[in-house]
Amino acid sequence: MSSPGFNFSNAVRNNFLQEKGIPLPKATSTGTTIVGCLFKDGIILGADTRATEGEIIADKNCEKIHYITESIRCCGAGTAADTEFTTASISSNMELHALSTGRAPRVVTAMTMLKQYLFQYQGHVGAALVLGGVDSTGPHLFTIHPHGSTDKLPYVTMGSGSLAAMAVFESSWKPNMERGEALALVSAAISAGIFNDLGSGSNVDACVITATQTEMLRNFVKPNERVEKERRYTFRRGTTAWKTENIRSLIVSEDITPVSAGGDAMDIS
Amino acid sequence: MDRIDMNRLKSGEVNLGTSIMAVQFDKGVVIGADSRTTTGSYIVRIVSRMFSMAIVANIYISQANRVTDKLTHVHDRIYCCRSGSAADTQAVADIVHYYLQLYTQSHGSSPPVSVAAGVFQDICYENKDGLSAGIIVAGWDKEAGPSVYNIPLGGGLFRQPWAIGGSGSTYVYGYCDATYQDGWGRDETVNFVKNTLSLAMSRDGSSGGVIRMCVITEDGVERLFVPGDQLPKFWEGREVLSAPVKKSLALAPMAIE
Amino acid sequence: MTSIGTGYDLSASTYSPDGRIFQVEYANKAVENSGTAIGLRVKDGVVLAVEKLVHSKLLVPGANRRIQTIDRHIGMASAGLLADGRKISQLAREEGSKIRKMWREPLTVKALSDRISLGAQAYTLYSSVRPFGVSTIFGGVDKSGPSLYIVEPSGVCLGYHGAAVGKGRQLAKTELEKLKLSELSMREAVMEAARIIYLVHDDNKEKEFELEMTWVGDESNDLHLPVPDDLLEEAKSRAKAALETFE
Repeated sequence: MSSPGFNFSNAVRNNFLQEKGIPLPKATSTGTTIVGCLFKDGIILGADTRATEGEIIADKNCEKIHYITESIRCCGAGTAADTEFTTASISSNMELHALSTGRAPRVVTAMTMLKQYLFQYQGHVGAALVLGGVDSTGPHLFTIHPHGSTDKLPYVTMGSGSLAAMAVFESSWKPNMERGEALALVSAAISAGIFNDLGSGSNVDACVITATQTEMLRNFVKPNERVEKERRYTFRRGTTAWKTENIRSLIVSEDITPVSAGGDAMDIS
Repeated sequence: MDRIDMNRLKSGEVNLGTSIMAVQFDKGVVIGADSRTTTGSYIVRIVSRMFSMAIVANIYISQANRVTDKLTHVHDRIYCCRSGSAADTQAVADIVHYYLQLYTQSHGSSPPVSVAAGVFQDICYENKDGLSAGIIVAGWDKEAGPSVYNIPLGGGLFRQPWAIGGSGSTYVYGYCDATYQDGWGRDETVNFVKNTLSLAMSRDGSSGGVIRMCVITEDGVERLFVPGDQLPKFWEGREVLSAPVKKSLALAPMAIE
Repeated sequence: MTSIGTGYDLSASTYSPDGRIFQVEYANKAVENSGTAIGLRVKDGVVLAVEKLVHSKLLVPGANRRIQTIDRHIGMASAGLLADGRKISQLAREEGSKIRKMWREPLTVKALSDRISLGAQAYTLYSSVRPFGVSTIFGGVDKSGPSLYIVEPSGVCLGYHGAAVGKGRQLAKTELEKLKLSELSMREAVMEAARIIYLVHDDNKEKEFELEMTWVGDESNDLHLPVPDDLLEEAKSRAKAALETFE
């Protein structure tokens, strides 16, 4: 008979294994460069597209700019699963909030929901986020750390590539930039992460949010495209000698006869 | 049993390694803070030396925000200065803000600073094992006029004419004791806060950036800002080792008998 | 009452077709059968007085008090069912200590009576409970000065300069209206309160009564205390003398 309640035997086993030097498996993390930047007409968010599992690249072209509402988006760094699920759950709650208030939801609302959610889990939900958007009160840009602290700044970076990206912003950001200039700056910041940080790589995603529309620029820059191979390494037919040749047909064919030709008509009485 | 390390931060947590301050004067209070917020991953490395084992704690810290506002509004005439974990202090301040709105609605009048400080203490004391928050509450109210309350790490509550807090404060207790006097006006108090914070920021590696200040009086809240390149300057050191040694002519060989 | 016997008076959770809750009105009847209780909010404090009807000579004098202390600076006088009054005072002391704990400051009379009125109102909603058969006068001194409130069985809570509930409330109110309450001192208010209680007492219907009187304000160092014996005796004898000239 099994005793009622939780069974903690796996926890004992895991602690034992950990003491013996066998660590628990690591979660997929988005060793990442994500950025956000205020410009004349709104906000631009940027992200690289590499997802890693330790030294292995798990996904070469993942999406790190998540949908919150039409005019609010959120970049995620940290544990990939956590960023996916927190942004999805807050997106859902924002939609419900919009429906119940009858108003377009605000960026601070999403920020408050996210920080309260993350604070509740005391850093165990490993989501480091850059939240940006435009609402009735204007453009807003926040960073949210896994423990639930927030900052409001005109330009922000996060993830393992944040230092490389911040260096670009600190040297070149200025107030009231035009769209093109800001977009170039964001992709320069992400590129700095892609090329200088081992955890970041592949392509640049960008998202331009203004009061009137949101443009998701997926794979805005592709600086790491695979080029055509200079040589082919397939062997010519006949390279290997053989003694006998035997060819069999592996195709199986079947004839199927329907039981009744027309089938019964649906009962619609 | 293991003792709880009150000062520990959860790994990778955002830290307000801070210099904060609040001082009361005849008509109100002046509060101030530096603007540095850091985040760090803590890596400890053991290095073997020729004759001794030296343990080097390599703490990689980067700046999360260099213009942080640590002076947080909790009511019309009540602010708090936050030090410790950014997440914890923001969450506590948000909760207190909510309670003070509740008080205003149910009592039909603004809460006194003592009430705000009491709510802060309740939260900090009841959750002392889970929080790293050192908070100074200051403001003006009808009953007591200006007042400053200090709520250090364990959740105590102390009313003081002036209070300093955060990692940078340890460097300037002596300066404050030697300088502070009762009966100052607004401008003298603002200068005192500005000088104290500048001294703390120059000695504490976790503090720095700009100085933000608020003057809270019955009439309102006035924000003051001192950019990083206009901080009050004090003694900044000079070269000692490479300075040329003055040759003295009085040197004479020792007399040998 | 036209609708009696129609079944609309059986439960507090049922309205009558003309929009009344009979159980609440019956509760008011319970109040009307009780000895009068009055409260005077004057310049420097509040005075509470009660005409406590003594229904048996076997009772110990001073027993079954109808004025109680809620907090150091707040008192309460009730008219109606004595036991309900004691429940209200228990509730008030509990709520008072909760409010004190939450905000770390002496509670205000308004905050307290508002809170109690919410509880009284809740008892007019459910079939499983009976509305309180008391009207309660809360008096005290807080940061907004002297204040006086009545909480009725319906849950209505209002502030007053002068308050009267119970059997003789009509006559008491006309007497209170003649006074310039905001100019009176606490000592003067004690004399007036005693006079009104003696005046409204009906010697023909009721046999005996005790005058219970407390005050809170400058005279009592902002504490809710019984009026000192000598002053009480003086007030009584003056009240008796005034009664003769009144008639």
